[in-house]
Amino acid sequence: MSGGTWQGRDEGGGWFALWLIRFIGLHAGRRPARLLLGPVTLYFFLRRGPERRASRDYLRRALGRPARLRERLRHFHAFAATTLDRVFLLAQGERGFVFEISGLDALLQALADGRGALLVGAHVGSFEALRALAGRAPQVRLRLVLDRQQTPALNGLLEALAPDLRGQVIDAARGPLAVLLAMGEAARAGALLALLGDRTRAGEAALEAPLLGAPAPFPLAPWRIAAVLGVPVLLGCAQYRGHGRYHLRFQLLASRIELPRAPQARQAALAACVARYAAELEALLRENPYDWFNFYDFWQAPPSAAAAAGDPAAGAAAADGPRG
Amino acid sequence: MSTQTPAEHDLATLIVDSLHLEQLSAAQIDPEAPLFGGELGLDSIDALEIALAVSRHYGIHLRADHPDNRRIFGSLRALAQHIARERAAQAA
Repeated sequence: MSGGTWQGRDEGGGWFALWLIRFIGLHAGRRPARLLLGPVTLYFFLRRGPERRASRDYLRRALGRPARLRERLRHFHAFAATTLDRVFLLAQGERGFVFEISGLDALLQALADGRGALLVGAHVGSFEALRALAGRAPQVRLRLVLDRQQTPALNGLLEALAPDLRGQVIDAARGPLAVLLAMGEAARAGALLALLGDRTRAGEAALEAPLLGAPAPFPLAPWRIAAVLGVPVLLGCAQYRGHGRYHLRFQLLASRIELPRAPQARQAALAACVARYAAELEALLRENPYDWFNFYDFWQAPPSAAAAAGDPAAGAAAADGPRG
Repeated sequence: MSTQTPAEHDLATLIVDSLHLEQLSAAQIDPEAPLFGGELGLDSIDALEIALAVSRHYGIHLRADHPDNRRIFGSLRALAQHIARERAAQAA
């Protein structure tokens, strides 16, 4: 697969940077670790050409003008800071963090009848920080659907820090069938199923929706899964507000998704789901442009389903498709 | 194509109905052909829908952590046999 898509890129930083962040963070504390974020940011900014260009292109769309150098550095810095925060969140809990939360009522209402709900997130702010929900609403059983294989080094590190995390994660690397059946079981138990709905895998069924002025591909799997499970769908993101502050945002996108039988009407219904999601994402990004952590050409259509073998439903909930 | 047993036909009908496969009749599903990723054009989200329908219709829970899932969901025949075994186990 070409290096232009997100699956083709190795983890930003790799083992060494993660080790460094962990070592310094946990031994020296968060304040010294944060001081290192400057040099770390600069290092990645200089070393990671494709990410740098993707960031510049994204910021031009989000800001409506070419980004200045300090804005581009701020984007990289936000990514480094949220990565560091993940380590602290998992190793030491919420100590030293401030979480604001909006839309909790909508979330609890969606879960009220006990048949579960789907929380569609994005690589916006910190997906991990959504776990802070547990402190505010301990009755909510959160299950994260993540692809551990996509960032094995980071996941290995995070799991080493928080072994109980494993039970909360439905590992997409188990293959689409096991993951989807596990999601069905979790929904039946009334859990809040959280997955990321922004990145499209090669060969995955997707539709385009406008985002920041141009059409971008979005996967259909989250919406099809919600329709099959008959559960409400919410958008959930933890916006990064700087210096350990996060704003958890939940909003209802649909109390239930009905997909018509006729293929054309079905596509139109799915397109409407995707468009609604994209519009809400755009609103979050207009509020806080530096929250966007898709450092690849997001607007480029991935290789078509015809060109790649694999389960077209892969993606949000799967990982046995082709990877870079 | 090999012929469907009555149990397989019953399951095929459930699959066609729950997935709204209007271009296909239950009798047309080859019991030995791959259910997913093959000519039927079904994927893993369809598998979830089938699992939910099986649970409602037969009272059988198709577990996510079953080690033989790949085989169980491999064909109409394999799935029907699994359901029959599970129902027998439940009745016992």
